[in-house]
Parts: sequence; structure tokens; C-alpha cells
Amino acid sequence: MRNPLRSEAEAFRFLLVVIGGAVAIAVASWLNTWLGLAVAVVVVVLLVRWVRGGSGSAPR
Amino acid sequence: MAVHAEHLDHGHHEGHPPEPHYSSRVTPAVLGMFLFIGSEIMLFGAFFTAYFFVRVANGTPWPTPPFELPVYVAFINTCILVTSSFTIHWATSSIKKGNVWGLRAGLLLTFLMGLTFLITQVVEYLRIGFNTSDGAFPTIFFCLTGLHGAHVFVGLSILLFMTIRAFRGHFSAEHHHGVEIGGIYWHFVDVMWIVVYLTVYIL
Repeated sequence: MRNPLRSEAEAFRFLLVVIGGAVAIAVASWLNTWLGLAVAVVVVVLLVRWVRGGSGSAPR
Repeated sequence: MAVHAEHLDHGHHEGHPPEPHYSSRVTPAVLGMFLFIGSEIMLFGAFFTAYFFVRVANGTPWPTPPFELPVYVAFINTCILVTSSFTIHWATSSIKKGNVWGLRAGLLLTFLMGLTFLITQVVEYLRIGFNTSDGAFPTIFFCLTGLHGAHVFVGLSILLFMTIRAFRGHFSAEHHHGVEIGGIYWHFVDVMWIVVYLTVYIL
């Protein structure tokens, strides 16, 4: 599991991922509200998978 | 009595307190960060729950007519805050390479942009044309944006001390933990604003 706030560089990377997701949701919701909702669900699932599948070393 | 004294001395070495026992699975720093993230999720989660209840379950129009949200001013403000994350990343990257002037310039720019964000938000509050007494929509709007504003204020306080310390030469390529921690907090504040901006202003 990846801790997105482990270091400043990791937090910055997490911010960039969130910005990308937010832009996708904003554009989709501008086209259609339900499309925006669908994209939001997909983005949240991808974000959770990104955090869970991180390569952060297990705490010792 | 002697047995009792011996019992009290157990684990003490030459008058020093015993070594603290840490969990073998989670280090104190990681545990502290998890507790911090958990408490923040609960805090913001409570306000977002109120937001979704008002907007989705209760069906309150967002924004409730005749009120309007200054979406474009908030967008410019969002750009300023996002840019400030880039400058603090530049500051941290600079000090890791031993570039003290890069650190100072980065921190100063970040502080000024954070201050601009907060002042713009205060001006927005003064000119927005509604108040918390005008219904559920304004109440949730002020609670969510105000909670985030409070976090920005804390971040600015941290940034101020970081900047002062940077100009006094307290940080180097080997010792820059204070910059690292402040940077993590600032990115966290930025992430929270993107979520708040998306839900309150855009959706």
C-alpha cells in the first residue's frame, strides 16, 4: 500500500494525479451530468487502486 | 522494600528511562501520519456528508436562486493555489541539491501565493451577497470553504516560519526535514481544495 503523504515528492505526485482526475470529472460533467458521475466513480476507483497498489515499502 | 525498589529499577539503565517500545509493524512517524490523515478525512467527511445530504437527499438547488457562485474568480484562485504547490516542490527540490536561493525564492513565492489565495477568498466572502442565515446552501458553502480556509491559514503560518528559517540559513542539503513536512502539508491542503472546488463550484 502506498502512503501518498510519505514524502513531499510523493505528495506532489499524488496532487498531480488528483488534478488529472478532477479535470476529467469537470469536463465530463460539463458534457453531461451522468457522464460526470460515471467518470467520478471511475476516477475514485482508479485512485484507490493507485494507492493500494503502490510500491511503498512496508513499515518496519 | 528491597524487592519493591528492584522492581522499580527494572528496565532502567544508569538513571535513564527505558527505551520506548515501538510496534514492529508501524513506525511512529507513519502511525502519526495515518492518524492525521484519518482525522482530516473524518473532519472534511462530516462537512461533505452535510453537503451531499442538502444537495442530493434534500434536493436543494445548488446554488439556490437568486444566489450565484463566483466560479471564475474561484478558478483563478485555484490556479494560484495549484501553482503554489509547484513552487514549494521547486523549493524542496532545490534544497535537496543544496541550492539555498532556490529554496528561499520557492518558499517566498509559495507564501505570497497562499496569502493571495486567502485574501481573495476573504474578498469573495465580503462580496458574495449571501450569508449563513440565508439557508442551507450558504451555510454549507461557508462551512466547506471556511474549513479549507482555516487549513490554508495554518499552512501559511507554517510557511512563514519555514521562510524565516530558510533566510536564516537553517536548512541545507542534509538537513531539510522542516521543508519536507511543510511541503507535504501544503500539497494536502491543495488536494483538499481541488475536491472542495470541484464539488462546491463545478458540479
